[in-house]
Amino acid sequence: MELVQMQKSLQDYTKSLFLEGVLDSQFLQLQQLQDESNPDFVSQVVTLFFQDSDRILNDLSLSLDQQVVDFKKVDPHVHQLKGSSSSIGAQRVKNACVVFRTFCEQQNVEGCHRCLQQVKQEYYLVKNRLETLFKLEQQIVASGGVIPAMELGF
Amino acid sequence: MTMEQDIEAMDQFPLGMRVLAVDDDQTCLRILETLLHRCQYHVTTTDKAQTALELLRENKNKFDLVISDVDMPDMDGFKLVELVGLEMDLPVIMLSAHSDPKNVMKGVKHGACDYLVKPVRIEELKNIWQHVVRKSKFKKMIKSIVTTNCVSEGNSDQNGVRANRKRKDQLEEEDEEQEEQERGNEKKPRVIWTRELHNKFLAAVDHVGVKNAVPKKILELMNVDNLTRENVGSHLQKFRLALKKINNEANQQANLDSQFTQMSSLKGLGSFHHYRPIPLGSSQFHGGAATMRHYPSNRTLAGMFSSSLPRNHNDGGYMLQGMPLPPLETLHIANNNNNNKAFPSFTSQQSSPLVSPNNHFVPEGHQGFSPHLEINKRLEDWSNAVLSNNIPQSNLHSKPDALEWNLFGNSTSPNLDTTNQTSFCRDTDFGSPNAAQADSFDPLQMKQQHENILSPMTVAQLLRSSSGNEGLFMGQQKLENGFMASDTGSLDDIVNSMMTQEQSQAEFSEGDWVWVA
Repeated sequence: MELVQMQKSLQDYTKSLFLEGVLDSQFLQLQQLQDESNPDFVSQVVTLFFQDSDRILNDLSLSLDQQVVDFKKVDPHVHQLKGSSSSIGAQRVKNACVVFRTFCEQQNVEGCHRCLQQVKQEYYLVKNRLETLFKLEQQIVASGGVIPAMELGF
Repeated sequence: MTMEQDIEAMDQFPLGMRVLAVDDDQTCLRILETLLHRCQYHVTTTDKAQTALELLRENKNKFDLVISDVDMPDMDGFKLVELVGLEMDLPVIMLSAHSDPKNVMKGVKHGACDYLVKPVRIEELKNIWQHVVRKSKFKKMIKSIVTTNCVSEGNSDQNGVRANRKRKDQLEEEDEEQEEQERGNEKKPRVIWTRELHNKFLAAVDHVGVKNAVPKKILELMNVDNLTRENVGSHLQKFRLALKKINNEANQQANLDSQFTQMSSLKGLGSFHHYRPIPLGSSQFHGGAATMRHYPSNRTLAGMFSSSLPRNHNDGGYMLQGMPLPPLETLHIANNNNNNKAFPSFTSQQSSPLVSPNNHFVPEGHQGFSPHLEINKRLEDWSNAVLSNNIPQSNLHSKPDALEWNLFGNSTSPNLDTTNQTSFCRDTDFGSPNAAQADSFDPLQMKQQHENILSPMTVAQLLRSSSGNEGLFMGQQKLENGFMASDTGSLDDIVNSMMTQEQSQAEFSEGDWVWVA
């Protein structure tokens, strides 16, 4: 694939993520923070996010599978996930967390289970999309090109 | 940093401002670090609150500002805020994914300068340096004002203020030397009521019960070397007076509630009275936050106020919810010149109102604030008495005491009524009388980082030790005493108002009031 084409694909792909609401402007902020002195910033942060989130989702599953659910434990996890997802711009994950928290407050186990599923779904979606995004970027760089700056045309 | 370095750094400020960032979430921490770097601050990060505290304790001058997440596993973020404010007197900004006002309120109560909601944007971080400036500028200004001692010149105009500022550096240097001398001089016995010492005091009093507290017992319980019964006695007296005042104020507080609720932050004083926010005079968190910082630092008094003051923070000390004790550091302010003055450096203006040469309290500024008058007189008497009594340790002893406890009343004078002695804050409306009072309470609320910090809490004001520098928080007093907390809160105004008070400075026999810059 030609470099220009790759770059265009990347841009389109990124744009679609925004349009779908998978990512929000916070992600753009992250991209803007990336520069020569910090060339892999976005991928580093996103990797951290994945690591943290995997762990949290795991803990959440365990907590909710208990006989007696301890919401005092569940809530902080969700809260943290909400914080980190909002920080990287994973909008849908964050929104799912917000809903999750309300069910936690109501101590609704059934509701929480559903929310957890929802969160997981959104999380895997964004994870998948971002991984694809990074691959595209890597291809471009490998071909000697630069990653085009995101145009905020939308 | 030395004074010179400080000054140099200030020139470059806010570039290179040293920030300590604390967040257990790796993702957020990394992002925060990068954002801060982008703002050209110097950043240190840690994911444990405990580590953060250790770093801070290791070298108090290593950082200018702390940003901390609220929800951390090893320590509650609010607690960290409190401790940092208490021990290090640094501005702390809270960070959280919670945006609900209750949490913001809580943050303010615990002394946070600001409260940011995740995800944090770089625009927000670009302005955080203001908190540092406010604090330090305030401190320096106060210091210069205090040390200039130009009260007698009746320097009430802007020029006077500027002149003071010019001399600021020089004074600061002098101050530092003085402070060092005072601190380092082992030969002279001095009783400095440090926080730890005060905490012990509170513990002892608590143990025997406030009503049964007698100096001898307290002294025994405290088990501190080089502390005399006399020291304890006068400290206790002040304490009692302050307690009384607080109680009285609490009663008055009710009237001002509505006003306060509009005020944004609960400054560290927190619900000093009845969990009322202390209106710092600014409805934005930003604005009012400044003072908050200091409050937590001096919470020792908290423990003692059982009645209306919930004792919230008892970690390691008595914390009067949101009531910072006057910074002990203020006590160290170089009083050299004014050993015999109640308030060596600081006083001038401030003292004047309180202690007019003729024991004449001129409460012009106080609107119908007769208690002030009385209190001032008492303070004067008291400070005089204190000064004369504590010979070997007098200055030091009385100073620290005075600083914090002045408000509590003069040991000699009968009752310092609760009038808002604390109202000393720097309300621009305050006339000189206020200034005087402000002084004494300065420690209480020195932290007027944000203009108009109204703190109805006298006690808190009293208690405010270190942050005292900002001292101007008395602005809030207005609420209680009908003083208007000026919204302007510009430092200039404050200084000006303070300057006006210098007129009658005469002797500030209080001597204990240290204006910590």
